[in-house]
Amino acid sequence: MLGWDVASAGHFNENHSRFISMDQKTMSETKTERIVHGIMAEFTSVDSLLDACRRVRDAGYTKTDAYTPFPVHGIDRALGIKPTVLPWIALAGGLSGTLIALSMQIWMNGIDYKYIISGKPFISLPAFMPVAFELTILLASFGAFFGMWALNGLPKFSNPMFTDPRFDRATDDRFFLYIDAKDERYDADGVRNLLTETGSGYINEVVEDDSPKEVPKPVFLVWGLMVAFSIVPLLCILTMRVTNSSRPRFHVFFDMDFSPAKDAQQVTSLFYDNRAMRPDVPGTVARGQLSESLDMMTGINVEELAQQNAPRAERLVRAYLQGDEQAKAEEVAEVSEQDPPADEADADAAEEGSSDEQPAQQDSADDASAEDKPAEDKPAEEKPADDQPAAEKSAEDEPGKEEPAENPPAEEKPAEDKAAEEPTPSESSPQATGNASQPSVMETTPWLKQNPLTIDADLLAAGKKQFGIYCSVCHGMDGRGNGLVNRRAQAKGFDTWVPPASLHQETLYADQYPDGKLFSTISNGIRKMPGYASQIQLRDRWAIVSYVRALQMSQNASMEMVPESRREEIEREVTQVKAELERQAEEAAKAAAEREKKSS
Amino acid sequence: MSEHAAPVVKPADDPAFQLPASLASLQLPLMSGGLFALVVGVGLAFLVGSGGALDQGSNVMPRFGFSAYLTAFMYVLTIVLGSLFFVLIQHLVRAGWSVVVRRVAEFMMIMVIPMAILFIPIVFSLFFEGSLYVWTIPDFAERLHLDESMWNTKKSFLNGPFFVIRAVIYFGIWIAMALFYWRGSTGQDETGERAATDRMQYWAGPCVMLFSLSLTFAAFDWGMSLAPMWFSTMFGVYIFAGGILAAHCAITLATYLLQRAGALRQEVTVEHYHDLGKYIFGFVFFWTYISFSQYLLIWYGNIPEETEWFFSRQRGIFGYLSLALIFLHWMLPFVGTMSRHVRRRPGLLACWAAYILVMHFVDIYWIIMPEARALGHEVVPTAGGVLGVLASVLCVVGMGSLVLGLILRVAGGNRVAPVRDPRLMESIVFENI
Repeated sequence: MLGWDVASAGHFNENHSRFISMDQKTMSETKTERIVHGIMAEFTSVDSLLDACRRVRDAGYTKTDAYTPFPVHGIDRALGIKPTVLPWIALAGGLSGTLIALSMQIWMNGIDYKYIISGKPFISLPAFMPVAFELTILLASFGAFFGMWALNGLPKFSNPMFTDPRFDRATDDRFFLYIDAKDERYDADGVRNLLTETGSGYINEVVEDDSPKEVPKPVFLVWGLMVAFSIVPLLCILTMRVTNSSRPRFHVFFDMDFSPAKDAQQVTSLFYDNRAMRPDVPGTVARGQLSESLDMMTGINVEELAQQNAPRAERLVRAYLQGDEQAKAEEVAEVSEQDPPADEADADAAEEGSSDEQPAQQDSADDASAEDKPAEDKPAEEKPADDQPAAEKSAEDEPGKEEPAENPPAEEKPAEDKAAEEPTPSESSPQATGNASQPSVMETTPWLKQNPLTIDADLLAAGKKQFGIYCSVCHGMDGRGNGLVNRRAQAKGFDTWVPPASLHQETLYADQYPDGKLFSTISNGIRKMPGYASQIQLRDRWAIVSYVRALQMSQNASMEMVPESRREEIEREVTQVKAELERQAEEAAKAAAEREKKSS
Repeated sequence: MSEHAAPVVKPADDPAFQLPASLASLQLPLMSGGLFALVVGVGLAFLVGSGGALDQGSNVMPRFGFSAYLTAFMYVLTIVLGSLFFVLIQHLVRAGWSVVVRRVAEFMMIMVIPMAILFIPIVFSLFFEGSLYVWTIPDFAERLHLDESMWNTKKSFLNGPFFVIRAVIYFGIWIAMALFYWRGSTGQDETGERAATDRMQYWAGPCVMLFSLSLTFAAFDWGMSLAPMWFSTMFGVYIFAGGILAAHCAITLATYLLQRAGALRQEVTVEHYHDLGKYIFGFVFFWTYISFSQYLLIWYGNIPEETEWFFSRQRGIFGYLSLALIFLHWMLPFVGTMSRHVRRRPGLLACWAAYILVMHFVDIYWIIMPEARALGHEVVPTAGGVLGVLASVLCVVGMGSLVLGLILRVAGGNRVAPVRDPRLMESIVFENI
C-alpha cells in the first residue's frame, strides 16, 4: 500500500491543511492542540470499500490508503496505485549477487590465492556456479525484503490511525479508507462530503498520537548497564589472549590448538611406514619446482654433458628428476670427492688402507663420503711424498703451485693458517705438475658458466643472508676462511682440523671455478665440507653463489666500479685507513728500535 | 470483485465448453498425416542407420533407426507424463485457479494409453540385438573388455524379459492413474458430485509417489540404459524436469489455440496465463538446476565411466547442441519469461511455450541420439546429415501429430473444461493481484 511517512507528517502547509481540533470526548484539557494527518472512513463490506476507493480515485486523490482485514484483489487498481518498482530492486539485487559471487571467486581462487582444487583450472566457471546461484538468490531476496521495507517506510512503530479505537476492527471485520492531508486536493469539508456520499457510516479525523513520546529514564539506565556488562566477556577474552599465565590456556578461540596435524619427525599410525612426514612420490615433482631446469638443479650444462658423457647425464636425470636416491648418492659422491689417489679410490677398502694415517676421521665418515675422506685429509698432510699419480688434480691445485706460500688454494691444502706453522703447502705444487694425465670429474664436467638467476639487489641480499647463516661460521664473514669455528679449532689445536678455504684466491674466481661448479660444491660439499642441498633452498644456493662472486669482486675492485656518488666517501675512508696504517707502522718501527736499543 | 460484471458459470452444454468445429475437423488429417510422416521418418532413419557397423570408427550411426523413433516417443511421452503430473498436483494441493485449464491437461494425460501401443516397436527392437539397446548384444562385455562379474550383475537387471515386465508395470501404473483421474473428472461433468473431487484429492498423494518412482525407473530403463555403463541417479529427475516444463508449455499453447478457435473465451483469463507463465518460468530454471547439478557432479568427480556420457556430447554437432541447451533452453526463455508483462500477454506467452516445446525436443534429441553411434570411445556422434535431421524431425512431427489427432478425437466427445467442478467458479474469478 502507499508509503506514508510519519516523520514528515508535521511539515505540511499550515494554511492549507493544518487543523486545531478540540476533542472533548477524550481529552479533558481544552488547550490540547492536535495535528490532523487526514481523514478516515469506515466501511462494512469489501464492495462498499472498493466502490468508495474508485470514487476517491476518480475525484483525483492520490495520497490515499486502504486498510482491510485480508488481502483484497483489485484494490490497487481501485485506488489507482501505480505498479511498484520492487521487482527492479530484486533484479538489481540478484544481478549484483551474481557479479559479486563470480568476481569474488575469480579473485580469490584465480588471482589472489591460486590454489588447485580437484585438478580444475584456477578460474573454473562450473565450480563457481553454486556459490553464484546462492548469492544471487540471497541478494535478490534481500532486495525484495528490505526493498519492501524501504518502500513502505518500515519499520514504523506507530501509526496515527491507531489513535482511533474503532480502527482496531481493521484486523477483524471493518474496512477503512484513508485520505492524507498532504494530498494536493485535500480539503477537510470536501473530503468529508465525498466520503459521506460513498455511504460510509463513520468518518473521523486522524490525529497525531498525543501519548508521551519520551523514553522513560530507567530504560536508558538499563540499556547502558546492559551495554556495559556485555563488554565484560569481550574484555576477558581479549585479556586472556594478550597476557601470559602459568596455568593452561583457556581456549576461547580454538584456532588450531587441537588440530590432529603432525609435526615434523613424529610417528603416526596412519601410514604403513609410521612416518608422519611423507617422502616425495617417486616420479613426481613437487609443486613450484617444475620450472627449475635440471641445469639449475645441478649447476651443469646437461645438454653438453649428454654429448660428452651420456651415462652420467642419464644418471643426473634419474637422480634429480625421478627421485632415484641411489643415483643421487653416486652423483654426489662423485662431485664432492676430492681427487683420491687412483689406487685408493679403486679399492673399496680404501678407508682401511688410509685409516692408518687418519683413523679418527674414518670413524666419522659416512658411506656416501667415505671415499673422499681419505683424500681430503691426505692432501693436507701427506701430499709431499705421496704418489698422487693419476690423482685427478682439481683446478685448485695449480694455483697452489703458483703462489704456494701465500694462498694454498682449496681446503685440501692444509690452508694458509697452518702454513705459518707447517711448511707443507709449497709441497703440493710438485704433484700438480705430474698428474695431468687423467682429468677429474670436476674438471671435465661442463659447468654452467653463469648464474641462471637474474642478479639484482634482492638476490645479493638473499645470498648475503644465507652466506651469513651457513657459510660464515667456517669461511668467515669476509670469506677469508677464518670463521668462528676455524678460530676455535685453531685455538684448541685439533690436529685433524682442516682449515676452510679462503674464497679470495684466483683459483676460485669465476674464470677458473665456474658458477656451476661453485654451486655444486655448495650443494654437494667437497672433501671435508658437507653438502648443503638439504638445508639451503635451490634458489638460495644460487644466491650464495652470486654473493660469493660479489665478495671476490670486492677484493679486486677499482674506483671505476664504485658509483660516483659514493666515491668521495670511499676515498676519504681509504686515506683514513692509510694514515692509520702509517701511524701504526711508525709506532711499530719505533717500538722495534727501542727494543733493539734495549737489547743492544 | 473485479470491475466487470459478476461472471456466471455457464451451463454444461454451452458451446464455450465444446471443441470448436474448426479444430474437430483437423483430427483425421492430423492422425493420417502424422502416421504417414512417422512411417516415412522411421523408414528414412533406418536408411540413414543402415550400413553402419556396430563397432567400427565410421560416422554412420548403426542404431539410428530405432533411436530416432525412441527420441520421438520420449518427446511425446514426457509431455504426456508431465500433464499427468500436472493433474495430480492440482488435486494434491486442492488448486482452485487451474480448474479451467485442467481438462486440457487431462486430454494429454489420457494419451498415455496410445503411448503404450506406440511403445511396442521399442519392445520389438529387443529381438534385433544391438538395434537400439547395446546391452542386448550377447558379447557386449567382451567387446568392451568389461569385467565379467560386474556385467553379469548388470545383466540381471538389463535383460529383455525383465525390461518388458518393467515396461508393463510402468504403463500399468500410468494408465491406471490416468484412467482414474479421467473418469473422475469426466464423470463429474455429468453428475456434478463433489465426492469425485474429494476422491481424486485423496488418491493424489499416493499417486504422486508412485508416479515419481515409476517415471524415474522408466527414465533409467529407456533413456539411461542406452549407455549401459553410465549411471546418474539424477537422470529420472532430469527427464521429469524437461517433461513438466514441456507439459506446462503444451497446456498454455493448447489453451491459447482453443481460445483462438472460440472455446473458453470467458473462462480462461489473463490470470490463468499469468500463472502458467510463472510455472513455465520456474520450470525453465528447475530444468537448468537439475541438468546443471547432474553435469556439475559428474564434471567435478571426473571419473571416466561417468564423464564419458558428457564427453560424447561435447564432440561434433552435439557439442554445439550442448551450448545451445545452455543458451537457448535456459538463458533465452529464462530472461524472456521473467517479466510479468510477458506472462500477462497470452499471445506472447504462447509463442514462448511453442519455442520451449521445440527446445524440449532438442533436449531429448541430445539425450538419446548420441548413443546411436558405433561402439568405441573415439567415435564422434553425428546427426546423420541432412537426411538424418529430416528423419528425426519427421518422426517427432509424425508422432506428435498422431497423438494430437487422437487428442482432438477424444476432446470432440467431451467438454473442454470440467464444467461441474465445484471449484470452477473460483477458477473463473481467479485473480493474481
